[in-house]
Amino acid sequence: MESESEVIKEKIHTDPILNDPRYITLLSVVLLLVTLVFWWCFSRRRSLRNSVLLTGLSDAGKTLLFVRLVYSQYRQTFTSMKANIEEYITSNNTLRIVDLPGQERLRNKFFDQYKNSAKAIVYVVDSVTIQKEIRDVAEYLYTILVDPVIQSNCPPLLILCNKQDQPMAKGSQVIRSLLEKEINLVRVTKSSQLQATDSSQSSNTYLGKLGKEFEFSHLSCSVELLESSASTGDDDNPTDIKALQDWISNL
Amino acid sequence: MLDLFSIFSKGGIVLWCFQSTSDIFSPSVNSLIRNVILQERSGNNSYNHNALTLQYKLDNEFELVFVVAYQKILQLSYVDKFLNDIHLEFRDKYKNDLQGGHYITDFDFKTTFENVLRQCEQWAKSQAKIPKQMRTFEDSLKSKKTVASMIERKGDEKNKKSVKIVENKSIANGKVEEPVDTDDDLIAANRAKLAQKLATKGKKDVKKSPKSPTNANKVVDRTKKPRVWELGGDSRDLPSLDFSTDKEGDVEVAADTQLIGQMTGAIRDLEVESEESSSEEEVEQGKPSPKKSGGMFSIFKGLVGSKALTEETMRPVLDKMRDHLIGKNVAADIANKLCDSVSTKLDGKVLGTFDSVAKTVKATLTESLMQILSPKRRVDILRDCLHAKQQGRPYVMSFCGVNGVGKSTNLAKICFWLIENDLSVLIAACDTFRAGAVEQLRTHTRRLDALHPPQAHGGRRMVHLYEKGYGKDAAGIAAEAIRFAADSKIDIVLIDTAGRMQDNEPLMRALAKLIKVNEPDLVLFVGEALVGNEAVDQLVKFNQALADHSSSSNPHVIDGIVLTKFDTIDDKVGAAISMTYITGQPIVFVGTGQTYTDLKALNANAVVHALMK
Repeated sequence: MESESEVIKEKIHTDPILNDPRYITLLSVVLLLVTLVFWWCFSRRRSLRNSVLLTGLSDAGKTLLFVRLVYSQYRQTFTSMKANIEEYITSNNTLRIVDLPGQERLRNKFFDQYKNSAKAIVYVVDSVTIQKEIRDVAEYLYTILVDPVIQSNCPPLLILCNKQDQPMAKGSQVIRSLLEKEINLVRVTKSSQLQATDSSQSSNTYLGKLGKEFEFSHLSCSVELLESSASTGDDDNPTDIKALQDWISNL
Repeated sequence: MLDLFSIFSKGGIVLWCFQSTSDIFSPSVNSLIRNVILQERSGNNSYNHNALTLQYKLDNEFELVFVVAYQKILQLSYVDKFLNDIHLEFRDKYKNDLQGGHYITDFDFKTTFENVLRQCEQWAKSQAKIPKQMRTFEDSLKSKKTVASMIERKGDEKNKKSVKIVENKSIANGKVEEPVDTDDDLIAANRAKLAQKLATKGKKDVKKSPKSPTNANKVVDRTKKPRVWELGGDSRDLPSLDFSTDKEGDVEVAADTQLIGQMTGAIRDLEVESEESSSEEEVEQGKPSPKKSGGMFSIFKGLVGSKALTEETMRPVLDKMRDHLIGKNVAADIANKLCDSVSTKLDGKVLGTFDSVAKTVKATLTESLMQILSPKRRVDILRDCLHAKQQGRPYVMSFCGVNGVGKSTNLAKICFWLIENDLSVLIAACDTFRAGAVEQLRTHTRRLDALHPPQAHGGRRMVHLYEKGYGKDAAGIAAEAIRFAADSKIDIVLIDTAGRMQDNEPLMRALAKLIKVNEPDLVLFVGEALVGNEAVDQLVKFNQALADHSSSSNPHVIDGIVLTKFDTIDDKVGAAISMTYITGQPIVFVGTGQTYTDLKALNANAVVHALMK
């Protein structure tokens, strides 16, 4: 009986430390700080920009480029319906390569989904059919450049002239001048488009300098043009994606 | 027999492929993807391209597509079964790889593929060898028809559709004319009829509902009609219904059995549609994914962990969504097809722990609607006008549609927008039928001229009107107008046509001739946002007419849609979905009022948001 009461008395003696209000507040503050730190790290990780987006018109060769880049193999491809995402390890860092579908109905949805995490954008262009499709190519490129998220983050943009192994492929200088002339016209027509029925999204930015012909050097984001060829690769025309790989490594 | 069998991921990477010929199949498969899967038409799963028929199956768990292609002239019966079997085999064999998303491994599938193919071919052969069972009388359609409807008479062919209504109408006549020979017989016959009428009163409501939507489009006769009873048959059935000459004792019994035979026939006649559709639903139910969670812990498995979506789980949600869409003025047909394609997309998909069926279905449906409303080609009229100007010819836009949708009003609004952007316009008054059409356009021209006088644009008159009065040929006027515009260096020609009903064959032919002769750059269909199920009929018939009456193999059908009277609907915006789904063409302009500034572009996000609210 006495030992019991002694044990109880001891317990009562040891309890005050935990009952001390200062101790409790200290503990809760520490816990709160730890939670905040974790949450901050987590959200920062999520909004970290570490993806390279491969986008462009349908049938430009994005999925094959993706397979070549990430797996170094050749696979037959069809029109993509979903994005392909893989980790890609370069000498400096680890990036995520995201291959977005180019289909007209899907491209805006997927682009909006991944544009926040874009560290760099690769706009793939089919060098053979660029002359015929120049208006579509320029319109999509204009949409990307005018996008508010892209304007604020300003990721470096690479215009990749793909399918260079074909005999009728145009060179990057020709494509640069074609695109600049076309965007010169498109920026005027697009900014005089009708307002939407629910006028919540209307961006009134004007690309380039007013009064002067549009050039890529006028833009605040860095724009480069490179050539590549991703197809089967026989001895005459070997697969050449070295330019793309170097550019990605230099990010 | 199969030309191509291919398994590829939804991201476009081919996992395994078998080709029996060395043709290039990518264009066909790409066209299948573009036209069927991405346009939300995945309800029916066979598609024709050139000389090939393509059938496909989606695996929503591992995001794969299985495609089979064979020559169209062959009619292979085993393709569905083959797709199902090969799907199961592939999934079982490579489950680990697929779950990890390793699409770039070498799949050694050739032997399994050949086995499955051989089995299916043998199954098909054995099915063909079974002697075809004779149908019993109950199964056949004949037992479901009334006696009267099978009697063929001259002059009945053109009124086949309204046969039932005609029959019902003249039953009253039949009753009145029935000779009253003996009171007993009359009372007995009437008592039998009364019994039947009471028995079928419950069934009448069921029968009415499937029939009413199809009857809505038929011409409704507003004169006072005699009451119709559902005891099928008309005055021509009189001899068989007349029991007054029969013997007394057996009269009742004979009458009952005879009447019952006829009655069930009549009822089934109207229920045929609903029965067939319900049997179709049962067939679909019969092939759900074979995942069955059994055992004691199935309840817990439903709470925690993954559950796969099946037809049954999705059905109540989809029905509610379908009714919701129809309530928002989407055409009933279209709502059906959309829900079917959503269920195909989600069949077999594995849900996460905290996802509910309703939320997933709603998200997928929202995605599909966004996809439908996103234009499938570039919509930039100003750029195309500049392009035509560079080529030294005018850009020609024509407006067609039914009566009273707002063609002339919206033409004036578009004209104003084009003038504001410094392009000169010629309005061609090809509506030579409606009184005041030319004057209306002349008034618009005068007002626009006052708003944008030539002084403000360097001495150049911005709006011109080309009219030749009333009663002349519209196609001729349009041709002359285009020539005038080319000579006078006018940038754009807007052709206003007369409103016409889609069923009016000579007028549709005249419209097709106008389009064929003048080859406009843009053929715009003007439709009002208030239209409901009619939109489907209008667009289909307009497209059909343009395709049929054009002599070329690549006819110029509707290129774009102008949605008018958008301010009159609050959030019942379903007409936009119906129209874009039917044609696949984008909505280029939206009219929101009657002044010149009430012209807007479509915001897909806002429309889908209003639809799903």
